[in-house]
Amino acid sequence: MPLLYFEDFTIGRSFDCGTSPVTRDEVMEFAREFDPQPHHLDEEAAKRSILGGLAASGWHTCAMTMRMFAGGVLSLADAQGGIGSPEGRWMKPVRPGDVLSMQAEVIAARPAHSKPFGFVTFACKVSSQKEQVALILMTPIMGRRP
Amino acid sequence: MYWEDVEIGTRRALGSYTFTEEEIVRFARKYDPQPFHIDRQAAERSHFGGIIASGWHTAAIWMKLAIADRSRPGNSSPLLRAGVSPGYEDLRWLKPVRPGMTLTYSSQVVGKTELKSRRDVAIVLTRNEAHDADGALVFVFTGKGLVQRRPG
Repeated sequence: MPLLYFEDFTIGRSFDCGTSPVTRDEVMEFAREFDPQPHHLDEEAAKRSILGGLAASGWHTCAMTMRMFAGGVLSLADAQGGIGSPEGRWMKPVRPGDVLSMQAEVIAARPAHSKPFGFVTFACKVSSQKEQVALILMTPIMGRRP
Repeated sequence: MYWEDVEIGTRRALGSYTFTEEEIVRFARKYDPQPFHIDRQAAERSHFGGIIASGWHTAAIWMKLAIADRSRPGNSSPLLRAGVSPGYEDLRWLKPVRPGMTLTYSSQVVGKTELKSRRDVAIVLTRNEAHDADGALVFVFTGKGLVQRRPG
């Protein structure tokens, strides 16, 4: 049975979503398939770029955020898909060797009109060991309590 | 081509991509392991009625096609000189993406903004879309790309 429903996601409630280690292999594997730019694939070219060294694709950061969000929130809830991400900020480069951690805080919740679900927006704050590296908003659909 | 040369309204067709079930499941197992992305039977019981792609997979394919487009001969896209982005806004997944579906992606320049913090680069805003074979909008977001400014 799902544990958490739309009604449980009150504004301000926060979820610790665990960690995600960033490996060089995974950064390059994601970049080769989806974002083959030198600053994600080539150490030397990355050093000369605005990022100052090898960094994960921003979309890879979103995907890793999703993995933590799925583990820390969606798997505990009656989650029925997502309608979008109202905003994403890639604030600092995400480097191989970083260990990302994530807090997801409810910032908005609205029931769907005459439907048995609602939309909950979470601010996912992604940090490395040093600092916040990204802010990704996520709006999943959550079933209402039966 | 520099930021100064970018014309608002310029639109590029980025090409099409067909999603296979194998790829959808492989991406989702790694990054978005919800039952309706990775488990055919659970997906059939869900309100989607079958496997659907992770929305982040749909977004990552936009990036893949955009990079391929930038390396096409004769493309003078300003985003050739970009590649780094501070983020995006208003990213929406409007329809489920199912195995076998082909999406056609595009990118249009919709705005330009300067940065207070630096003179060497500035931001180009793009509206990026993916449509299904019937022409319905499936995926959309506003992208922000850093583009080099004309020196001097």
